Amino acid sequence: MATIELKGVSKEFRINRERSVLALGAMDLTIREGEFIALLGPSGCGKSTILNLVAGLDEPSTGTVTVDGLPPLQLQAKQQLGIAFQEHALLPWRSVEGNLELPFQIAGRKPDREHIAGLIELVGLKGFESARPSQLSGGMRQRVSIARALCLDPKLLLLDEPFGALDAVTRRSMNLELQRIWQEKQITTILVTHTVEEALFLADRVLVMSGRPGRIVREVQVPFPRPRAVETMRHELFHHLVDDLTLSLEPEYKEP
Amino acid sequence: MQRAEQQDGGLQRTLYQVCGFLLLLAAWQIAGKSGIGGKTLPALTEVLRVYTISWRRALLLRAAAATVSSAGIGLLLGTTLGCLTALTAQLLPALEPGLDRLAVVVNALPAIALGPVLVITAGREATPALLAAIPVFFLIYVAATSGLHSADRRLGQFFRASGASWGTRFRHLDAISALPALLNGMKLAVTTAMIGAVVGEWFGAPTGLGIVILNTMQNFQIPLMWAAVLVVAGISLTGYAVSGWVERVVERRMS
Repeated sequence: MATIELKGVSKEFRINRERSVLALGAMDLTIREGEFIALLGPSGCGKSTILNLVAGLDEPSTGTVTVDGLPPLQLQAKQQLGIAFQEHALLPWRSVEGNLELPFQIAGRKPDREHIAGLIELVGLKGFESARPSQLSGGMRQRVSIARALCLDPKLLLLDEPFGALDAVTRRSMNLELQRIWQEKQITTILVTHTVEEALFLADRVLVMSGRPGRIVREVQVPFPRPRAVETMRHELFHHLVDDLTLSLEPEYKEP
Repeated sequence: MQRAEQQDGGLQRTLYQVCGFLLLLAAWQIAGKSGIGGKTLPALTEVLRVYTISWRRALLLRAAAATVSSAGIGLLLGTTLGCLTALTAQLLPALEPGLDRLAVVVNALPAIALGPVLVITAGREATPALLAAIPVFFLIYVAATSGLHSADRRLGQFFRASGASWGTRFRHLDAISALPALLNGMKLAVTTAMIGAVVGEWFGAPTGLGIVILNTMQNFQIPLMWAAVLVVAGISLTGYAVSGWVERVVERRMS
């Protein structure tokens, strides 16, 4: 498990010699060990930028990002980072099993067959071990990519709109699935999403972001106890929070 | 269902191709027989008869073996150099613009101008293979460079976030992602290598199809000349078909 700290972090992208865009205004953010955070916001509000900074895929323009007091690159090098994107990013020429062996090979370790079999079962893909990504549905591919992120028992799980390309029904069942998986592992997790229900259902804390420059405009502690079930989503308070958060996603929203 | 339709479409296309090919051959036969093309255009049947004469067949086979081996060596040499140069450019990005320009310059040298230089420096025997290797090098360098850049961006990010070393990433991602582009380049390189080898032989190689074509042209052995040209075309097309097939198999395996 890991504690993440962003201090005075901003990120500027250069477009050309004269112009640059401030993707992320100076922000401070602390994520506690074992906490599930959802970054909620419209596209282009810099939520993926935060994720990339924490993953060490990008450098902040100002400020520092640390995971357990260390720069993210160290976490990368120790293979303690699990990541999944909206695009499944699986090796198309490998089977489900082969794709789950990849993290072990990257780490220079012998693939742990038992662990892989356990993960395949955990994400409900038993019987599909030798199927290739092109033979799977979109939802199944995302499960593989989440299983792959969990392969090396990471300290930190980063999910960049992992269900963004799925239809509403599949997305809901994937949310249930992810909640079950997370319940078992309780890894510090950052989920980037633009779906309010998804954020509320999965996270301990929802951070609402607004764009240009990207900043956190609201923070909501999710009051529902775990484990959460479909019933949680039918709760009156859940609906109320959904409406409330949806409003704060509007461009005219004023920070309280 | 869909597959059957696709097969039908494929069958129809093949049928069209065969028909077109046969029409072309028929036109050749008619033009040759009627004498429209003059004495230098014999009928197809006359050309094909060359293959039935055993000593001529033996001559063509010997020549073909020499040309194919020159083209093959050129292909191997050009491919190896092209891949190595592309790898160098990938490993040391600072060198990439320079290597790009070098490859373009090498490719811009006309074979006809380079031939005599190679004959003097490398010898008559080696010239066909070297003239085959040069355009192959360029094609493969371009193909490999673009292939090595073609890995999925998200997969690249996954490798990076997972702390993959350059070697691991290359072995499990970049090298495999480069295959379709590389094989596409190979398909073109095969025919180019044949052209290079034949032209290289014109500068005085001991044997080869290029020599047969040159000698028969000078001695006015028209049907034999056409027979040799057809062999060159046949080998080129076969190489193209085989590498195209490999490309398709690999592409199917990769998607």
